[in-house]
Amino acid sequence: MTQRGLDLERVTQAMGEFGLVEQVRQNRIRVASTRERVRDAIVRAKDRLGCDHVIQIACVDTGKVLELHYHLTGAHRTVVTIRAELPRDDSRIASVHDLLPPAGIYERQMHDLMGIRFEGHPDLRRIILNEDWPESEYPLRKDWKMDPTKFYGGVRKEAT
Amino acid sequence: MKLSERLVRWARLKSPWIILFNSGACNACDIEILAALTPRFDVERFGILAKGSPRHADILMVTGPVTRKQAKRLRMIYEQMPDPKYVIAMGACGASGGVFKGLYHVVDGVDKIVPVDVYVAGCPPRPDEIIDAVVRCLELMKKDMERGGKTWRIDEGTEEPRTEAATA
Amino acid sequence: MPEVLIPIGPQHPALKEPVNFKIFAEGERIVRLELDIAYNHRGIEKAAESRDFIKVVPLLERICGICSHSHTTTFVKGIEEAMGLQIPDRAQYIRTIVAELERMHSHLLWLGVAAHEIGFNTLFMWTWRDREVVQDLLEEISGNRVNYGINEVGGVRRDIRPETAEAALRQMDFLDSRVVEYEQMVREEPTTLARFRGVGRLTKEQALAFGAVGPTARASGVDYDIRKDDPYLAYADIPFEVVTVPDGDVFGRTLVRIGELRESIRILRHAFGHLPSGPLRINAPRGAPRAEILSRYEAPRGELAHFIRTNNTDRVERLDVRTPTLANWTSVAMTLPGHHLADIPVVVAAIDPCLSCTSRITIVDRERRDVRTMTWDELRAHGVRFYRAKEGI
Repeated sequence: MTQRGLDLERVTQAMGEFGLVEQVRQNRIRVASTRERVRDAIVRAKDRLGCDHVIQIACVDTGKVLELHYHLTGAHRTVVTIRAELPRDDSRIASVHDLLPPAGIYERQMHDLMGIRFEGHPDLRRIILNEDWPESEYPLRKDWKMDPTKFYGGVRKEAT
Repeated sequence: MKLSERLVRWARLKSPWIILFNSGACNACDIEILAALTPRFDVERFGILAKGSPRHADILMVTGPVTRKQAKRLRMIYEQMPDPKYVIAMGACGASGGVFKGLYHVVDGVDKIVPVDVYVAGCPPRPDEIIDAVVRCLELMKKDMERGGKTWRIDEGTEEPRTEAATA
Repeated sequence: MPEVLIPIGPQHPALKEPVNFKIFAEGERIVRLELDIAYNHRGIEKAAESRDFIKVVPLLERICGICSHSHTTTFVKGIEEAMGLQIPDRAQYIRTIVAELERMHSHLLWLGVAAHEIGFNTLFMWTWRDREVVQDLLEEISGNRVNYGINEVGGVRRDIRPETAEAALRQMDFLDSRVVEYEQMVREEPTTLARFRGVGRLTKEQALAFGAVGPTARASGVDYDIRKDDPYLAYADIPFEVVTVPDGDVFGRTLVRIGELRESIRILRHAFGHLPSGPLRINAPRGAPRAEILSRYEAPRGELAHFIRTNNTDRVERLDVRTPTLANWTSVAMTLPGHHLADIPVVVAAIDPCLSCTSRITIVDRERRDVRTMTWDELRAHGVRFYRAKEGI
């Protein structure tokens, strides 16, 4: 196999200004960023590190904050993860659908399930929850519980 | 019985038309149903045909735990079928929601949405078990025709219509 | 930008599956594509947070019935990484064997489905008949034809006996000869050439930019394959090639999958012939320490990613699953506009969607100003008729 891969030094040089750069494991390097600078970080990773392929945009509710992890890779086969935190009561962040086309779908899904608002997304409609699911109920949030008095979709009891 | 009625009854028993409905399944049941059509199991030798339209179907085979999105559709498809109609609920999901029981986007079992005549156990049921279920459904159809409908099942003592469970 | 909706579950084109397409067309030409996917969402990621590792594995097995081993392996190897466990070699080999058998059954299934989409039902019946050989092997090894349940955190649950390994090697010869014949059929049959060549073209740059994975990407010359890029299980020790072609169309995707079938046979021959001895499992602790793992796996459809957060308990804090079909939908949405309606079944089937393909398709014809609804069967039949008239086949 040809020698490829980004080393920690190279990534730190390119991305160090955004935040802490750490080697999580062999072949995976993580870069901390703020939500305001995520777009710049992605542009930098694309231009300077050749990260032209998005693997996943993962979201986590830690109970205290919401985290977003943008996992990117490229011909070098190293995974570069850019992460940012969002406050739970103000979970907005700029959309990156123009930088990473698959994000159009991933962001819509995260909006449905976690309630993150991606500003600049052309169409943040419901995508994965059914059309009768009540507004502002985000099932993947840690503090979400099903309300027994609400209707979440399906066939209403009276109809059967 | 009139000749036309005898003819229809013979046709229904000899060549039941099945419509498949996936109510949010993982696909394993659906693949095993398709496998039943292929040379190793060859369900078509029983005259069973899988048709696309509910308006021509005798039997509705439902896979999946019934997601909240599919529940309305399932109800609609059932209502479009002409009488007499039969429902086979596939697998653990069809019976109770299977591993997905209690998840926020499922309704837990086909019989919450439409009445079920035959349950097939398995996760997924094997193609031979699926063919067995259809054959049992045909036997049920025959009994219903002889006794003039489905009410004999309730009359014979249990609270809800008695159903046949097809097991391995 | 064409909007695409995607399901998280697996459904297949030949099956009457719950996905709804909305196609904006001008006559026969597709202008835009919209997909609706909530049909298959069940809420698995949330459930994973409240079930311990032992209970989560059977749940994940049933995310998709076609690639169930992919999901459980990705998960357990992620948890094992969090726990810092070294899995015995024999277990890794057994996992690899089941993984490649799964790839084979999936690709043979796909070949049949793709043939069915263009009305080539003989090939459908043949591939599915031969696929039963793989199902028999899987049943022999794991006890079930589908949803094998061979994985647990720490290793595998069942062993492969020497007689099984010997019988499997003989079956590999049979399967190899069948695959060679399929390749010839596909390359020479006028139907496949007319319906697959030049259809669904995706350039290398597009494949990378749109996040395409698996055979869909490899058919456009992108040689990403997690088995080589980030080796896991026993792949680092087993010689095999990553199959790519430069064509970038549905024909290319067919050739890639056929090539992968042959490479899988190669891997299986090696694995069955060199099964290391030793234990099947090691004892895993009940809980996993605090960790953040990105577990990647090359599933039959492409790269599967499980992002796992553990927090010193016996359950995950978060499991975020990105299935390969989710990654491939963007390329479908971007490449279908400009094609004929008749190409929809083929282009959609070509990414091998582990997602359902729709029972109903709405076609909004801007030119004729009407809205029609078609079922998948009708669209497939329309495709067959269209090309019969167009190409005389």
